[in-house]
Amino acid sequence: MIGAEVTFDVALPKIVWGWLVSTNMWAKSIATGTFLLGIYFIKKYPEQDNFFRKWLPILGLIFIGITLLVTVLDLHHIFRFWKIFFHPHFTSAVTLGAWVVSGFVIVLLISFWSWATGNKKLLDRVMIPGFILAFFSTIYTAGIMGEATAREVWVFPSEMISMLLSAMLAGSAAYLIIDALYGNILQEKVRRELGYILFGSAGLSAAMFIGELFFAKMHSEFSYEVVKVLAFGEVAPFFWLGIVFAFIIPMMLVGIANEYRRYRYAWIASIFALIGLWLIKHAWLIAPQTLPLS
Amino acid sequence: MRLGFLVDLSRCMGCMACAVACKAENNVPLHSWRLRVKYIDQGEFPDVKRHFVPLRCNHCDNAPCERICPVSALHYLPNGIVNVDHERCIGCASCMMACPYNAIYIDPITNSADKCTYCAHRIEVGLMPACVVACPTHANIFGDLDDPESEISKYLKNHRDVMVRKPELNTHPKHFYVRGSTVALDPLASERPEGYTIFTEVKFLEHIGGH
Repeated sequence: MIGAEVTFDVALPKIVWGWLVSTNMWAKSIATGTFLLGIYFIKKYPEQDNFFRKWLPILGLIFIGITLLVTVLDLHHIFRFWKIFFHPHFTSAVTLGAWVVSGFVIVLLISFWSWATGNKKLLDRVMIPGFILAFFSTIYTAGIMGEATAREVWVFPSEMISMLLSAMLAGSAAYLIIDALYGNILQEKVRRELGYILFGSAGLSAAMFIGELFFAKMHSEFSYEVVKVLAFGEVAPFFWLGIVFAFIIPMMLVGIANEYRRYRYAWIASIFALIGLWLIKHAWLIAPQTLPLS
Repeated sequence: MRLGFLVDLSRCMGCMACAVACKAENNVPLHSWRLRVKYIDQGEFPDVKRHFVPLRCNHCDNAPCERICPVSALHYLPNGIVNVDHERCIGCASCMMACPYNAIYIDPITNSADKCTYCAHRIEVGLMPACVVACPTHANIFGDLDDPESEISKYLKNHRDVMVRKPELNTHPKHFYVRGSTVALDPLASERPEGYTIFTEVKFLEHIGGH
């Protein structure tokens, strides 16, 4: 007796979390990445801090705004969002994330006020809580994925490390784009360091994705099937384009930029990195949802 | 008290009485199911076999849906049932992402998460769940797992081939199957090609809920 096939079943839900959630993760990477890298560069290069004190809150507020907007839009009860604060369930990474991101938004507003009024001490005072909140805002989605028991390919803590690398990639790319748009106002050493961060985070991210997919021990049949969907199935175009756009092209271009001091390549690399990051996050989100759970 | 379910798959004949009774009792909208019966055909003619598998919420002792729900809309009742508060639900669908058994849906009318509650409203007044009453072969056995004299406890004690779905996930389901098989209980052990079959169209939903 060989082979088995479902011959009668109801229609099952397929994609539960779609592009809105991919956009959430993508925008959050930019918001938290620019904050984390911003305070690092403010501390390391105080002579260049005006650039980061200005763009850290602006980029942070724009992209955390996008994150919150798509999060609320994805709810089936948009106007019940407030319940997460008044009926919180703290075993849920969704609840923890909502609280942490709310705190991060407050820090970003203070940072914005600090830049708008020229009161640098204000940002200096919230740097440490801001760092902690930005860090946890980056990784809480990995917690949600870890709690999503059904989708066994999303594994904590490797997902957490991947999200931190995404934040570094997105943050450095966003600053390189802003620098290029404003006519290369950053000192060369700062631009080069942003390039190295982009290069390093892209390389490590690529290694994690490829390693987890093709060399890690598959801990379940479900994970094995998801890898097939990612690499060869309906999600493969997103996945491979994401790998090329987010990691391979940026590494090559930023390598050329830093090696030959042709920094316009770093700008192009950053554009590719941000497009690719969305593609790969989308593929990673969708793939485990294409398989039947029951 | 820990209420549990057991399905004797050798008794199930795929008549769908349980699924229809569930829909009628709980006013489940079209394209949504709290309880469904899946048919799986195995083998090649003439050596063939058909499996009937009733699937519903497993009311896990370690329920991922309860843990991930950000507002406690999914919560435990004292009798072990994982219940849903439709008014509390914000419709984030995290529970759908967490449930490894695909037992939760977003109701397209209320836009809240919903699922089998073992007919908690009937149990409260001393009635059996609607699917148990409707089953003509008594394939559904329901009762208190903590009571050694209950029918379900005796059934579990007297059968060696008791299975649960995805035990490796450590969810500790309170829904058991007797005389089951991997083909019947593992969704990846059978193909699920989309399209028309001898009975109906097997497909995936394009949208969930009402937005």
